[in-house]
Amino acid sequence: MLPVTLISINNGPNAAMPRIQLANLTKSYGDVEVLHGIDLEMADTEFTVLVGPSGCGKSTTLRMIAGLETVTSGEIYMDDQRISHLEPKDRDLAMVFQDYALYPHMNVARNMSFALRLEKRPKAEINAKVAEVAEMLGLTEYLLRKPAELSGGQRQRVAMGRALTRDSATFLFDEPLSNLDAKLRGQMRAELAIMRQKVRKNMIYVTHDQIEAMTLADRIVVMHSGHIQQQGTPQELFMRPVNKFVAGFLGSPPMNFLKAVLESEGGQTVAAGEGFRIALPAELADRARGFVGKEVFFGIRPSDLDFSPDGAEGHCIDLRVAVSEYIGAQSVLICDCAGESVTVEVKSETPIALGETLRFTVRDDGIHLFDCITEGAI
Amino acid sequence: MSSASNDRPNPAFYALLGTLIFMAIGPVVLMFVNSFKLDIDIISGTSGLFFLPTIQNYEAALCDVLWYEPEHLDYCAIRFGGAFKNSIIIALISTVLTLVIGCMAAYGITRFRFMGRDTVSFATLAVRMVPPAVLLVPVFGLWNNTFCLDRDGMIGGFIRDTFGGRGDVCLAGTHSGIILIYVAMNLPFVIWILQSFIVQVPRSLEEAARVDGANPFQVFYMVVLPLIKPGLAAAAIFTFRIAWNEYLLASALADRDTKTVPILIVNNTSEFNIEWGVIMATGMLLAIPPIIFTLIASKQIITGMTAGAVKG
Repeated sequence: MLPVTLISINNGPNAAMPRIQLANLTKSYGDVEVLHGIDLEMADTEFTVLVGPSGCGKSTTLRMIAGLETVTSGEIYMDDQRISHLEPKDRDLAMVFQDYALYPHMNVARNMSFALRLEKRPKAEINAKVAEVAEMLGLTEYLLRKPAELSGGQRQRVAMGRALTRDSATFLFDEPLSNLDAKLRGQMRAELAIMRQKVRKNMIYVTHDQIEAMTLADRIVVMHSGHIQQQGTPQELFMRPVNKFVAGFLGSPPMNFLKAVLESEGGQTVAAGEGFRIALPAELADRARGFVGKEVFFGIRPSDLDFSPDGAEGHCIDLRVAVSEYIGAQSVLICDCAGESVTVEVKSETPIALGETLRFTVRDDGIHLFDCITEGAI
Repeated sequence: MSSASNDRPNPAFYALLGTLIFMAIGPVVLMFVNSFKLDIDIISGTSGLFFLPTIQNYEAALCDVLWYEPEHLDYCAIRFGGAFKNSIIIALISTVLTLVIGCMAAYGITRFRFMGRDTVSFATLAVRMVPPAVLLVPVFGLWNNTFCLDRDGMIGGFIRDTFGGRGDVCLAGTHSGIILIYVAMNLPFVIWILQSFIVQVPRSLEEAARVDGANPFQVFYMVVLPLIKPGLAAAAIFTFRIAWNEYLLASALADRDTKTVPILIVNNTSEFNIEWGVIMATGMLLAIPPIIFTLIASKQIITGMTAGAVKG
C-alpha cells in the first residue's frame, strides 16, 4: 500500500456544507478490482480535484459518490451519514458531465429548471432561480434556445448552470472541460475559478489535465491504477511529491528522471550517473544516508536547470541540445545526457545552437531522489 | 467528365424510373378510375378513359351512413360504416397498446441487466418469423373454446344481467380478441425497432436525470420517451398499417358485428355477382385512413433528435 497523507483542514466559521468522507472504498467489475480501498476526507466547501491518467479510477470514484455506480465495499459518508445505499436523487448533489448531457428536447431554461420542476417548486421561485443563474453565467439571451443551437462553450455553461440552479451542497464535475478547444478551455477554467469564489459549496472535480488540477484545486488527490498516490495542496504536491509517479505527473514539461548511484566523497554525498556527478545539499544527503552505494532515480524539473556556461563542477550537468521547441518567452530544450533524454526550460533569448553541449547548474532545492525499487521519495 | 455524366443521366435510368412509377401508381389509378364506373363499363373493358363518371358505387358502399336513400339501391347490403368503425377501433387501440407495451419492453431489454435478457431479445425476433397462417388454426381454437367466460360465472353473469343475451362470451368475435392477436403479432417488431432507437439515447442523459432527482419512471417518460419519438412514429405507422390491412386472422376471428373493412370487401363477392365498382370504391375509402395516419405520424419523424445532447 502506498503512503497516503491525510491532511486535516479546519472548518471555517461559516461551515454548513456536509463533509464527504470515503472509507476504504473499493469497486470491482466481475473479478477485476479497479479501486483498491480509497480513503479520503474532504473538508467542507473545499475544491477537491481528483487527477490521474485515464483508467486510474478517478471517474469511477466520482460516479460512486454520485450514486451512479454501486459500491463494492467500503462506505461513503456525508457528515457521518452512510449514503452509499442511497439513490442519486437522495444525496443532495449536482453533477456536470463530461459530454454535457443536456436534454436535447428542452430549451436552456427548461434544462436548467429540470431538477426544480421535479421537486415541484413554485413557478415564481423556479423562474427567479433560473434567471439568477443565467445572469451569472451570461446565458440570459439564450434561455429559449435548444442545446443544438448553442456552441460548445455555451453548452458547457448550460451544463454548469443546470448544476448551479439546484442549491445542492455538493457539486461533482466529471472532466467538464475536456471537450472544449484549448482557448475555450483556458477561458472556462478562469470562469470556473471565479464561480468558485462566489459559490461556497463542496466541489469535487475530476480531470486528467494537471494544469486544471493545479489552478483550481484547494486539494489535489493524485490517483494511479486504483490507488491514491498523494493528496495535498497544489504546492505541497509540486514541491514535495511522495513518489516518482506524482513527481512525473504534475508539472509541465514533466520532471526528468536519471539513474544515479549515491556515493560518499570527502564528506559529501554525490549522485553519480552516466555523464553527471551532482553533490547533494546537506539536508537531502542526510535523508539519503541509507541509500549510499545504492541506485536511485535522480529527479530534476526542467525549470530547475539554469544555463550557466561557467558553473562550478559538482553542481552542473553537461547536456547536448538535440531539439529546441520555441514556445514564446520560454524555450523547451530536449537534450541528450549519455543516451538519456533530459528536458530543460530556458529563456528564449538564451544563445543556444543545436548539437552544442551546454552546461546547466542544478538548483539545490530542485533535486528529488526516489528509491529505485519502491519509487518512493527519499 | 463525371460531372457531365451526373448532369445527364442515362435515358435508361428514366425508363426504369418510369416503369417503377407506373408499377406503383398504376393499380391505384386504375382503382380510382374504376370506382367511378358502372360495372358494365368495367367489365366490357372497351371504354378505357371515356366513360360517364358516376358516384353510384360510393353511394352503394356508404349506404348505411348516407343521410338520403340512393334511388338505384333497394337494399343496403354493404354496411361500410359499421366495418369502418370496427377497423378504426381495432387498428387504433392495437397500435396504442403495442406502442405502450413495446417501448417499455424495449427500454427494459436495452437498459437493464437481468437473467435471460439476450434470450428475450432473440425470442422477440423469433416470434416474428412465424407466419400468421400457422397461428390461424390454434388461435381460432383457443379464442373460440378456451378463452371464454362461463355464462354462470361472475363476469359472465354481470354481462348477462347488464346487456342481456346469453352471457357466455368468447374472445373470438369480439374487438378485444382481434386487438389481442394484433398486439401479440406486432409487438416483437416494435420492440426490435425501438431497441435500436433507445440504444442511441446517451446514457449520460439518463444519469443526469437521475442526479437531477428523477425516479426511473420519470427518467423514462421525461427524457427517454421524447427522444425516441421518431422511432415511436415509425413503429406506429407500421403497426397501424398491418392492423388496418390484416385479413387472414380477422376473417377467422371476426363475426358480423366486428368485421373489418378488408373482410367486408371480400364478402362483397359472391359466386353469382362480383360488384367490381363497389369493391373499387370501398378500396379507395379503405386507403384514406392509413394515408391520413401516416401523414400525421411521419411529422414526428425528425432526424437528429439527440443533436446537441452530448459532445462527441
